[in-house]
Amino acid sequence: MSVAWSAADRLLRGKWGTSEELASGRVGMGASVLLGLGLVGGAVYGAAMGLFGVLRPAHATGKQVLADALKLPLLFLLTLVVAFPSLYAFSALADSKLRFVQTLKLLLVAIAVNLVLLASFAPVTAFFTVSTTSYSFMVLLNVAFLVLSGAVGLAVLSKALRAVYFQPEPSNAALPPEASSEGERELGSSAEPRRAVARPRSDPRPRRIFIAWFAIYGLVGSQMGWILRPFIGAPGMEFQLFRARGGSFFEGFLTALGQFLTGR
Amino acid sequence: MRALLRDVDGLLRGEHDFAAGRGRIPWVRVALCVASGGALHGAALGSLHARLDQMCVSALKLPLLIASSTALCIPSFYAINAVLGLREDFSAALRGVLATQATVAVVLASLAPIVALFSASAIGYREAVAVDGALYCAASVAGHVALARHYRPLIARRQRHAWARLAWLVLYWFVTIQLAWLLRPFVGAPGMPATFLRSGAWSNAYVVLTQAFLGS
Repeated sequence: MSVAWSAADRLLRGKWGTSEELASGRVGMGASVLLGLGLVGGAVYGAAMGLFGVLRPAHATGKQVLADALKLPLLFLLTLVVAFPSLYAFSALADSKLRFVQTLKLLLVAIAVNLVLLASFAPVTAFFTVSTTSYSFMVLLNVAFLVLSGAVGLAVLSKALRAVYFQPEPSNAALPPEASSEGERELGSSAEPRRAVARPRSDPRPRRIFIAWFAIYGLVGSQMGWILRPFIGAPGMEFQLFRARGGSFFEGFLTALGQFLTGR
Repeated sequence: MRALLRDVDGLLRGEHDFAAGRGRIPWVRVALCVASGGALHGAALGSLHARLDQMCVSALKLPLLIASSTALCIPSFYAINAVLGLREDFSAALRGVLATQATVAVVLASLAPIVALFSASAIGYREAVAVDGALYCAASVAGHVALARHYRPLIARRQRHAWARLAWLVLYWFVTIQLAWLLRPFVGAPGMPATFLRSGAWSNAYVVLTQAFLGS
């Protein structure tokens, strides 16, 4: 227990890897630790989310708690499984120093931070579940917590990507002599000088990878969440592990927002 | 498997056999990337209504689209390079173009699980077409990154290569849009049989789009 607590603490404090490790293309924390933290964190928040199913007036069931404790970590991990090939492709295309396994570990760091932070919101979610009967309010509260913890996970990822691409400013002595003649700028040797010259600190590649990752993971994650719904359990509906297929997350979110604003 | 991953990694990073302006053109690897990557994404495109026949047809058509549009444009690309006085760099430019097509196919393959996820969600036909269009655009952006990587040393040597690259992009997209129109459907509209070519396929995409825009 204390080991898990200490690992979660290290993760939230950003002690999962040093800038030097990242700059050399390595992620310090083990994949199994990150996976374990993510699974436990997701299960804790999932259970809190499913409490609404226990307390709703009709069709109350504890199965929703169990189902959500399984489905929430699954949501993040299945999203990673679906999105990882393209996340890796865009990262390699931007010449990232992180190879296949290290890229996976970095993404697991962001997911674990996200899920451990979500777990910390579990008491608040449970409190509101006990004190409200508004389904649409609970939907929006959960979306808010998911967005908030997701934003922190993304901030960690963004910072890590900057560290991956960080290269110290070159001293004058380290600079290669400028190619003066046509012959010195051979086509075939063009790739090496491009890497040998230290890039300026404002390298655009981490930002570009971050945007690509954000768009892909966000798109897949939102749709995966839609497929794995219900997480909260709408009042008046019997317990279902998964609802019938059809529609999309964005459609569902706009419907919930409309219902909340019109007081239904 | 490990060798395949190493090849794909080298292609995406522009290293080894796929490094800019170096060595011979790795024809076989480029062809394998286009065939397998395109087929994987094509099969995912055709999976919207879990129709095996549409998956097979689309798995054939997508690599055909990438390969045919490239083959159709290469003679003109050679002529443009020759006219611009870039004949001696044509081999390096062609390497860049082929690596770009292989990159597009590999990125399309990496996006295939996302297409399959949306298909599994039973989203509507129009939504599916929109998602697929957006993902194809993303793969094209990846292709542009690869092309820019190959063209950087060429343009550094001779500024005119920038015009050759622009000419390639205009020509390639002009041809690809029409070819994609001819080879449709890739997703497969609900209620329509899976066919290699739609009846009345031999029409002009640009004429149809212009008429639709003008409302005639």
